[in-house]
Amino acid sequence: MDTAELEAKVIEFIASKVDNVDASTITTASKFDELGLDSMDTIQLLFDAEDTFGVTFDGEEVKTLRSVGDIIDYISKHPPEGKA
Amino acid sequence: MHIVVTGIGIVSPIGIGVEKFWENAVAGVNGIASIQSFDVSKQRSRIAGEINAFDPSAFLSAKQIEQTDRFTQLALHAANQAMTDAGSLESYEPRRLAVCLGSGMGGFSTFEYSATRKFQNKSVPPFSVPRIMANSAGAWIATQYGLKGINLTCSTACSSGANAIGMALDLLRSGKADAVVTGGAEACVLPLTMSGFEALFALSTGFNNDPAHASRPFAKGRDGFVMGEGAGILILEREDAAKQRGAKIYAQLAGYGCACDATHIVAPDMDGQIAAMQAALGDAGFAPDKVDYINAHATSTPLGDVIETKAIKQLFGEHAKDIPISATKSMIGHSIGASAAIGSIAAIMTLQTGTIHPTINLLEADPECDLDYTPNTAVQKNVQTVLCNAFGFGGNNASLVYTTS
Repeated sequence: MDTAELEAKVIEFIASKVDNVDASTITTASKFDELGLDSMDTIQLLFDAEDTFGVTFDGEEVKTLRSVGDIIDYISKHPPEGKA
Repeated sequence: MHIVVTGIGIVSPIGIGVEKFWENAVAGVNGIASIQSFDVSKQRSRIAGEINAFDPSAFLSAKQIEQTDRFTQLALHAANQAMTDAGSLESYEPRRLAVCLGSGMGGFSTFEYSATRKFQNKSVPPFSVPRIMANSAGAWIATQYGLKGINLTCSTACSSGANAIGMALDLLRSGKADAVVTGGAEACVLPLTMSGFEALFALSTGFNNDPAHASRPFAKGRDGFVMGEGAGILILEREDAAKQRGAKIYAQLAGYGCACDATHIVAPDMDGQIAAMQAALGDAGFAPDKVDYINAHATSTPLGDVIETKAIKQLFGEHAKDIPISATKSMIGHSIGASAAIGSIAAIMTLQTGTIHPTINLLEADPECDLDYTPNTAVQKNVQTVLCNAFGFGGNNASLVYTTS
């Protein structure tokens, strides 16, 4: 998956998880709190992203993820097992 | 001081909503079938009273579903019904509105799912703990309705629902609450939980090809209980306050008794059962001969039904044979912590309608079970006082007494 494709897929995934947000306004710069996600919502979102994108978010590193772009970077640096 | 029931809600294998449940209960409809929700090929007991028609997305958001176990979803649906039925509780202060719920296992569907993921080295869902904890149903009901008073959860296995209702009665009598949302919820038609009950030889295993006849309390050939799921919720208030706000009154909850066998962790004991029934009647201030219907615990285990029969005979003496008894579990299986709340709703509907629902699958009674169990067909009787029994693992016996208000 190239970067543009991954970016589109992550944004599509995030759009499916947030309420009352116009999907077209979500960009890599969008922060989770700006999308109406509180800390527990964010943890749930990352958990769901694990199954969707075949990655495992490291327990500590998760705390540093703040935006849509952070998720994309993380997935790029940690390709799904067996698909590197 | 009289404590009355002003709202009821139920989710059961034979009906969601009181009207449907009661129509089917009176008709003796069977709610037991082959398990649909998971692969049963490795289970010895492959049947259950499941609620396949239950759709949480019909009343909960995707986020709420993500954060709740099935037992909480069942409880919330029954609570929605009961709160609507009771009408507005706005005349009470939110801090005086309590929740007192029973569940034997709590969020075990989440537990089994999350544990499986953990053992597969997968991440554990972040809402695992708040879904599993036994008080999550009570917490969600409180949050949904702004009930800011006492919030308790009672877990005494199969008698959880009865003890929760009894505790609610005590909260109202002691003046610690003005209205209580009470009852029980359970959702453990699950592979691990059922394997645990199988290992104790507590579940029926001989009717996998004939599920409709598996749950047969008091009948010859019964071979264990059939797992069920569901929720029953009651709204309780003081009679004077309920009348003042113009509430419809279903029945009076007149007495509650609880007694522990203190003998064995799973085996039933007649003395403990008698003590619970006696305590409930004493609490109501009634002599045993006042009871004119018993909604029995009656799970369809070989030993349990005989012990309950003996306990009833010992306590009621000559009067025992004149009291109609029925087993709601013959139709819906055993929904553990919800069962006594559902039994209570059946009892209340009997007081309301003068109809006693049947014990189905009772074509030939066990010779040791020789009372009137209302076999197979509903009967009409002007019932004034009902005793509702619930006996759980841990030697925990609880009984409730309902009367016409």
